[in-house]
Amino acid sequence: MSIAASETVQQASGTMSLAWLLFALPAFGALVLLLGGRRTNSWGHILGVLTVVAAFAVGLVLFFTSLGAPPDQRTLNLHLFDWIDVGSLQVEFGMRLDPLSMVFVLLITGVGALIHIYSIGYMDDDRDRRRFFGYLNLFVFSMLILVLGNSFITLYLGWEGVGLASYLLIGWYSDRRSAATASKKAFLMNRVGDVGLAIAIFLLWANLGSTQYTEVFARAGQLSPGTATAIALLLLLGACGKSGQFPLQAWLPDAMEGPTPVSALIHAATMVTAGVYLVARSNPIFDLTETGRLVVTLIGAFTLLLGCIVGCAYDDIKKVLAYSTVSQIGYMMLGVGLGPFGYALGIIHLLAHGFFKAGLFLGAGSIMHAMNDEVDMRKFGGLWRKLPITFVTFGLGYLALIGFPFLSGYYTKDAIIEAAFGAGGWRGWVFGLAGAIGAALTAFYMTRLMLMTFFGKSRWKELRSADDREFHPHEAKPVMWVPMVLLAIGSLGAGAFFVLGDRVVNYLSPTLGRLSTAESHPIPELLITIGTLVLAAIGVLVAWLIFGRAKDIPAQRPENVSGIVRAARKDLYGNALNEALIARPGIWLDRFLVWLDNKGVDGLVNGTAALFGGSSGRLRRLQTGFVRSYALSMLAGGVILIGALLMVRYA
Amino acid sequence: MTTPASLPDIDYAGVAPVLIILGAACIGVLLEAFVPRSQRWAVQVVLSLLAIVVAAIALGAYLYTGPQNTSTFAGSIALDRPALFLWGTLLALGLGSILLIADRVVEPGGAFVAQAGIRPGTMLDKEQANRSSMQTEVFPLALFSLAGMMIFCSANDLLSMFVALEVLSLPLYLMCGLARRRRLLSQEAAVKYFLLGAFASAFFLYGVALLYGYANSVKLADIANAAGGTNRSDALLFLGMGLLLIGLLFKGSVGPFHTWTPDVYQGAPTPMTAFMGACTKVAAFGAILRVLMVAFGSTHWEWQTIMWVVAGISMLLGAILGITQTDVKRMIAYSSVAHAGFLLVGVLALDGSGIRATLFYLISYGFTTIAAFGVVSLVRDGTGESTSLSSWAGLGKRSPLLAGIFTFLLLALAGIPLTSGFVSKFVVFAAGMSAGITPLVVLGLIASTIAAFFYLRVIVLMYFSEPAADGPTVTLPGMYTTAAITLGTLVTLLLGVYPSFMLDWAGTGGFVV
Amino acid sequence: MTVSVYEEIAFWILGPLSLAGALGMLFSRSAVHSALWLVLTMLSLGVLYMVQDAPFLGIVQIIVYTGAIMMLFLFVLMLAGRESSDSVVEVLRGQRIWASLLGIGLAGLVVAGVARSLGDVTPAGLDNPAANGSGGPGNVANIGQSLFTRYLFPFELTSALLITAAIGAMVLAYTRKQAKGGKNRQREMVNMRFRENTRPGALPGPGVFATADSVATPALLPDGSIAKESLSRIIETTPVTQIEEDEALADRHPDAHALTGAARDGDDGASIVASPASEERSE
Repeated sequence: MSIAASETVQQASGTMSLAWLLFALPAFGALVLLLGGRRTNSWGHILGVLTVVAAFAVGLVLFFTSLGAPPDQRTLNLHLFDWIDVGSLQVEFGMRLDPLSMVFVLLITGVGALIHIYSIGYMDDDRDRRRFFGYLNLFVFSMLILVLGNSFITLYLGWEGVGLASYLLIGWYSDRRSAATASKKAFLMNRVGDVGLAIAIFLLWANLGSTQYTEVFARAGQLSPGTATAIALLLLLGACGKSGQFPLQAWLPDAMEGPTPVSALIHAATMVTAGVYLVARSNPIFDLTETGRLVVTLIGAFTLLLGCIVGCAYDDIKKVLAYSTVSQIGYMMLGVGLGPFGYALGIIHLLAHGFFKAGLFLGAGSIMHAMNDEVDMRKFGGLWRKLPITFVTFGLGYLALIGFPFLSGYYTKDAIIEAAFGAGGWRGWVFGLAGAIGAALTAFYMTRLMLMTFFGKSRWKELRSADDREFHPHEAKPVMWVPMVLLAIGSLGAGAFFVLGDRVVNYLSPTLGRLSTAESHPIPELLITIGTLVLAAIGVLVAWLIFGRAKDIPAQRPENVSGIVRAARKDLYGNALNEALIARPGIWLDRFLVWLDNKGVDGLVNGTAALFGGSSGRLRRLQTGFVRSYALSMLAGGVILIGALLMVRYA
Repeated sequence: MTTPASLPDIDYAGVAPVLIILGAACIGVLLEAFVPRSQRWAVQVVLSLLAIVVAAIALGAYLYTGPQNTSTFAGSIALDRPALFLWGTLLALGLGSILLIADRVVEPGGAFVAQAGIRPGTMLDKEQANRSSMQTEVFPLALFSLAGMMIFCSANDLLSMFVALEVLSLPLYLMCGLARRRRLLSQEAAVKYFLLGAFASAFFLYGVALLYGYANSVKLADIANAAGGTNRSDALLFLGMGLLLIGLLFKGSVGPFHTWTPDVYQGAPTPMTAFMGACTKVAAFGAILRVLMVAFGSTHWEWQTIMWVVAGISMLLGAILGITQTDVKRMIAYSSVAHAGFLLVGVLALDGSGIRATLFYLISYGFTTIAAFGVVSLVRDGTGESTSLSSWAGLGKRSPLLAGIFTFLLLALAGIPLTSGFVSKFVVFAAGMSAGITPLVVLGLIASTIAAFFYLRVIVLMYFSEPAADGPTVTLPGMYTTAAITLGTLVTLLLGVYPSFMLDWAGTGGFVV
Repeated sequence: MTVSVYEEIAFWILGPLSLAGALGMLFSRSAVHSALWLVLTMLSLGVLYMVQDAPFLGIVQIIVYTGAIMMLFLFVLMLAGRESSDSVVEVLRGQRIWASLLGIGLAGLVVAGVARSLGDVTPAGLDNPAANGSGGPGNVANIGQSLFTRYLFPFELTSALLITAAIGAMVLAYTRKQAKGGKNRQREMVNMRFRENTRPGALPGPGVFATADSVATPALLPDGSIAKESLSRIIETTPVTQIEEDEALADRHPDAHALTGAARDGDDGASIVASPASEERSE
């Protein structure tokens, strides 16, 4: 058992009572932008940025105030108003200001502000830029409600709010059919998760009579083991839906239909990590149930591998990054699933990931911006010359992600893999190896992405974009690359800053409990670090062997083989060993997982929809339009009702 | 020989709201006879609105003086807190409905036919479709119906309840058939509603007879006493209860007794659909709540499992059937079937928190429904309202404000936080949970997820589809419809953000016995 | 519970009769027969009430239901046309079978339930001497007492029901006369007919027995020409060309008995022109 998080909750006062400004500001922005109409077109984006920047400033002030307080006084409660206040039904609308929520506030407003600024440039030529900023502000508002709320109900409020904003933003390009489908898929799969969360909340309500964190956590021990496990699993279902974890991961790659800043902010840095937040936040419940934690780790480990492997298959730069996100969240889940050994590690990886993945997405956006919104990497190549700033920032993000020594990912991911090995028994081996193999695969697909995009022949020179324009790649305006540079600095140093000296771990300890470390590892820690690095290096090397040495990469997917491409392909897969040992099985596995992803999961979703639709169609036939047939159905209902009443009485 | 009959004590202050509405309805009928045709509309609108406001003031005054939690008219009419709350709800929703009925801008001349006696489809009918007058008898009829609803949910004996049921239903049957456009559809709806309503009433009456046979009284309290205090065979009790419930569940459009709902909702003039969707639901569930808790509360162990099943069936039927609907009004009709199931969860909690949750659910759902149908009435093409879902495509581009409001209302129906729909679902499910109906609550959550799908479909259609070239236009609403939509939307928002005061009002007391 | 012999005799006569009436109403094809069967049921019930010491109820049953309501029913049926009945072919699959099964099921449930509970009930009865008997205020007074005390509210409330019903009937059936293009009343019809000076009297009958058996045969005027008004407009079987031929024939061969010996002035065309009067007749 962990040393229980100190539950001395005090009422916020002084500077801390300004915390309501955090979400009031974006809410104000969203309100003005969405209701203001065309009048706000000219200055709407400025307002959108300012509210988030201001919220970030407030967040910083609060953060430093909280740093100044002794650790046991860092958990504050700010009562705003009684949302539902009648008799036994108490739902207070309040904020919980504790280290966990503070780091999230900084992440959301900080990265959010950068992405807002970036969006000014990226959405420059969109007629509805104002509305876009309105939705973004709405998202930031909901996300802050989610992390700042002091009860599961407020969390649910934000949870639905971010879902709505995400749904609106995925479907932003409403002239694309695929965007509408993707947004629908996202909403529905999220709803499946939401049911889990909602049932969990009602179970808490029924068993403990409250949904306030303070009450729930203080009395979590009263839950029977079975109930605790059930609640934990249902919470996990909600987390899986929001965070794109197996089996609800299919919506996340599709969500890339939205504008790239949205992918960066919502579907990489913040919203999709809400599931990790939920598990970490509910740590007193997860501490009660071994089974619950085990399931979390299993799902995390499985998803991280699945994300990596599928990531190798796509040529769409954003989809690769999206699967990378799925896989990285898998790491975080694995981390928080380890319980007291990993809550903090998961959160740290989440923070670091927020920086470098947002940077990567913004970089991808910059590339798309330069390449007439093209996303197919096979049409890129040799772009480093044309887009030097993007190349450098993207490159730093890449290095951070694959865990290059002393960059962000190295510290945070390595810590999770180490902790996973320390889980003991078969678990240690399974989870640790999954993490390590994941690291190798990550290195492979990200290197592939880098090579195909920035190096090699400039394939775009001979091609035209879908709307028949030539490609003229150019570096974006400063309003776009400055945020990228800032995020790149983050990817460079954030990990070290967070991990060295256990800064974040210590800061978070009032909420998540002190981080435990395993007594023994099956293999020495140093070996784990080195092994992971070696695996990653192998991944890079293999990718380079396949894609870097190749003189040309077909601009079409290899399935449509033309004469030139066939020749190119010979080059590409020239190494027979390579093909037999790595490429073939890899491709099969890839194909299987892609198939599983598209057919299996989608099939399940569509199948369920079809089941309902089908039964709906069949039931609908009962609605014949004839009164006598309606009367008959009423009579049938009546006979059954009365029969049942009498039967229950006399049975 | 005969002792002179002494009138029972009547608490005039208490029943004033009902008497005012009934009186105004009678005056309205007289006005039809004496006021020149050209002025009738204005006079009737003023009278109806005034009656509702005065009734509300009377209700407020009675509440202010401190109600005694009694019953009056020899125990026929209960004046307890739930009844008074439901009266307030009905008056408020009635006001919204009257506003929708009164509108003559959206459809020139109003949604009601100028002369119902003219056969549909004839030359005369085509001519009168363009005439800017309406059958102003609708106003007194609506008031009669409203009064019937108020009595229905406060009736403390089954006989009053039955008469009230007819008083509320008969005007509804009539008004359903008075649509100005698509008159055959409207008349078909009226006949269907009438026939099935009569069928259900027959069950109700049979149930009353059997219960009288059981308890030797039609008073709810006497039935409860008889059920609790004797060792006689209670086959009559449960037989009567079953038959009675068929009639009540029919009015509340609880599946599987919902079959009339989609057809009637679709055919009736839209203001009437709003009235039915909001007010009838309130009245029916007020009565179900009272009957189940007062008369059958003592025997609930015997029947509650069966009612759980009914609630579950209703949720699932509504949610699943809603998916394949292609007409907005039918879709909302099925959604109302699903909502009836959710409401039953609150009823079946059978305790104070259940009453509170159900009452809150009713008022919030009612306002959302009125506003939603108000919006539906605005989307029109050459032949009248365009309720086919396909013609709503791209509405978000054409009329962002309207689409925004409708989106908000749909989110409320789906139960997304910060709308009244969320709070009402939450309180209902919370009441169910604490009463130990966990399976039903889980089923409810699943059903609301399925139902979210078809609300979402409309939103997707409105925002993410291109508007059809010859699609419908959005009519600028007149003052009355604007007022009704605004009222409904604001209450939906208010009850979502600050529900405490309403929950307080809803939960201040139980039923009088 | 004791049942006197006479009561038992009455029951065993009236009970089967009322049941037979109900079944007859369900199964007879003609609506009028159905209504009459229903009268039988209601009469039997009325007598049963009287036998059970509820004379007032029994009389009301007979006067109101049998006398008023059923007669209204019959009026309406006669007005609407005795023959106009719905098709009895059932198009919905399984409707009848299920309806019968469920109907029998419901009846079974109700009978079983009632039978079960009858054994241990002491009937309150209406023959309580203190209330209804010769010593008490009697049946009528007691009902009055109940109506104005215990059931005052529902009793008064029924007035709302009656008003609604009356308005409903008017709303659905009444149309304004003076409205432009509205329905004309009889006086206006007559005035119009004379004012337009076409044919004030009745239209001539067809020439059925003059030359043929068919109603499609036009009547002949005294001059041997054809009276086109004599053909019913709804008979569409007579081809227009046939009339034209007949007309032509009549023109060429004037009837020997004709007074003028000449063809009439052809003042209207070959097709039959609808005059307001003929329209009136066809309605």
